[in-house]
Amino acid sequence: MKEILVRPERCVGCRSCEIACAVEHSQSRDLLKALSEMPQRRLYVEHVPEYSLAVPMLCRHCEDAPCVAVCPTGALTQDALTGVVRHNRDICIGCWTCASVCTYGVIGRDRRARVAIKCDRCPDREVPACVSACPTRALIYGEVEEVSRARRAAPALKFAQGVAASSR
Amino acid sequence: MTARIPTVCPYCAVGCGFYITRNGMEYMQDHPVNEGALCPKGNAALDVLNHVDRLRYPMMRIGDDWIRVSWSEALDRVAEEMQRALREKGPGALAFLGSAKCTNEENYIFQKIARLMGTNSIDNSARRCHSPTIIALRRMLGTPAMTNPVSDLALSDCIFIIGSNLAENHPVVARWILRAKDRGAAVIVADPRVTPTAWLADLHLQLNPGTDIALINGMINVILNEGLENSSFIKERTSGFEGLDLSDYTPERVSSITGLRAGDIVRAARLYAKAGASSIVYCMGITQHSCGTENVTACANLALVCGHVGRPGAGILPLRGQNNVQGACDMGALADFYPGWRSVDDSRAIDELRRLWNARALPLGRGLTADMMPEADLRFLYVMGEDIVNSHPAVSRRRERLKRGFMVVQDIFMTDTARIADLVLPAAAWAEKEGTFTSTERRVQWVSRAREAPGEARPDLWILSEVAARLGFDLSPEPEEVLAEINQAVPAYRGISRSNAGARGGIIWPCPHPDHPGTPVLHTERFSTPDGRARISPVHHPALERTSPQHPLILITGRVVLHYNAGSMSMRSEGLVKREPEIRIDVHPEDAARFGVADGDAVMIETRWGRARARAKLTPRQKRGTLFMPFHFPETNLVASEIIDEKSMMPELKVAACRIWRAD
Repeated sequence: MKEILVRPERCVGCRSCEIACAVEHSQSRDLLKALSEMPQRRLYVEHVPEYSLAVPMLCRHCEDAPCVAVCPTGALTQDALTGVVRHNRDICIGCWTCASVCTYGVIGRDRRARVAIKCDRCPDREVPACVSACPTRALIYGEVEEVSRARRAAPALKFAQGVAASSR
Repeated sequence: MTARIPTVCPYCAVGCGFYITRNGMEYMQDHPVNEGALCPKGNAALDVLNHVDRLRYPMMRIGDDWIRVSWSEALDRVAEEMQRALREKGPGALAFLGSAKCTNEENYIFQKIARLMGTNSIDNSARRCHSPTIIALRRMLGTPAMTNPVSDLALSDCIFIIGSNLAENHPVVARWILRAKDRGAAVIVADPRVTPTAWLADLHLQLNPGTDIALINGMINVILNEGLENSSFIKERTSGFEGLDLSDYTPERVSSITGLRAGDIVRAARLYAKAGASSIVYCMGITQHSCGTENVTACANLALVCGHVGRPGAGILPLRGQNNVQGACDMGALADFYPGWRSVDDSRAIDELRRLWNARALPLGRGLTADMMPEADLRFLYVMGEDIVNSHPAVSRRRERLKRGFMVVQDIFMTDTARIADLVLPAAAWAEKEGTFTSTERRVQWVSRAREAPGEARPDLWILSEVAARLGFDLSPEPEEVLAEINQAVPAYRGISRSNAGARGGIIWPCPHPDHPGTPVLHTERFSTPDGRARISPVHHPALERTSPQHPLILITGRVVLHYNAGSMSMRSEGLVKREPEIRIDVHPEDAARFGVADGDAVMIETRWGRARARAKLTPRQKRGTLFMPFHFPETNLVASEIIDEKSMMPELKVAACRIWRAD
């Protein structure tokens, strides 16, 4: 099962993902026609200046997701197969219980209607728009096992460099 | 399946590809530069097409009003006014500003018109980004351009980034640097500010503004003292090394000039020199100084001493700013160069063009650069796709002086420059016309028409061709035909055609014949100087504009990720403006406390050039004793310095002594 994973050490805080997300979720998929539509992002690049980092925050599509558990109308549902947490704006009542329990603070409010707005992992795309757009590949879409294997490679390389240096 | 048309991003010079579809855009996964990814401006690129503010009809000024005129009336008037100025005051009263946003073909024809009219007063915005690079790298290496392509950075073992905040200004470049880091490469960033680029660094050198030469000379001194130079490279491929005595740039002395720890200078020198392949990446933090040409020279000296040029992963990479700034310069839209980098003082080289153009005579000697235009007695000024009023502080302050005669502006929007013109001509935007653009890495890419231009807007090449016809010159409006003439005029472009430039990723010049695959890495065997050797030439740390009791802080200018240059495009993109709506000035919290400024305060800033208003943003990313203002907003022009680098005519936009106080 593929997930969107974040490598914050590669993020330069350019917010390309936010704009790509907004374009993808505009009705027309086209900013030039979407001017009146004011498309909204569903992920948030948080700058943490004291650590010289920016962290893209987006829905983790948690297993047994708290937002789904508390939703009183069933507007939030979790796909049994993919784990993707979807939001049905037609039956959302804007009670914000989901936003109250979300560990990551990634449930937003639609600017026009009083309903929630969140990541749907781009159902029409093979790769989510934010991942495709990211210039530094700080966002990746892959199996956790694969990503972790790749993550191990960098410290392993450093480790090996250290061993080589100390035996020189 | 909707038709999708490949295109190249109209913003910066990285040259990213994407598709334009009937409804919007699609990512281009197999583009060699961006592999599908785009920065925020790239994602918002289509906003400029069909924007409500687009110019739709030719318009003539009547007093303070504009009236719509027909194309034929407008074009007749341009030709008439140009000829009248020539008749009454001679070619010295004419000036032309080309565009780093227009195609190679358009810039080529534009400068050709200027020169056929008898003037070298033709310039483009490269004057304010890399004119020092042009002067220094042409003299030292023979070719004033990036030596290696961007993707080559993935092959570097050490990347030394100085005076570039590429993570914000060329975000896609960071992709390749991270790939090098994944392989274990070391990244050194020299910048007074803790920029997002500095976040990528293994070693961040937070040097005092304007002390780049001291740092680089200090590194070279360490390298020579420790025997880390590449002696065989120096001996076989360079000249001038014997004149390079930098022994007084000891780590301790350099430490006192730059404010860096001596140990960090030594470490940077070792990392750069010892790596198998090292690259230097620089940008306007190097060029926009009164010693800009010397700064570039120092960078090239460092690379040459270590032999880090002419191999994959080893090179000198000046990151250029606009999508066709390299091309506009290659085409000779410069007051000091004809097409193909022929100097305006080289009569023999110019004679080749005179024959090609069937001209009786062509002008010699440097024409007016953009900053000189307000002071000149101009009777006719033709501006193609540049907002000179918002991009040149000197012009911004004296905009009324530009208007001593007739002024034509050809653009896609009613810029502040267009507002003061007598005649405004609506141009087609990049995706509404055809032609080639040359990216920062010398990559020439053909762009096809994907959309209709709004109203009566026309491709710049069509407009120029119509003007030329009225002046009695027969210049083609067809990009392919003009490219064929460029093949003759610009040796590096000899083999470039619609077919190889139109293939995925285009072709990297020099391309000497149609079957040539292009030349991603320059200087592999010999340098393009007359004797094939690179010139090492010593430069020294200059006297700086010092702070004074009246102006105790240093103002640094630069860019932010969500905006672009003077803002005529990015300020019209709602997605971008919403995220970065107004000018802010970055202040270190300790300086803020010292001058009684709090986060979010409206503040005044004063240099000896002027005053401006902005909103203070407190951030520890700013170096103590310095302030930062982005230059996308007109306010920054009010305070930017007008000191000039005489060799390149580059204004010292990066630093100015200043003071700040709360505006009440």
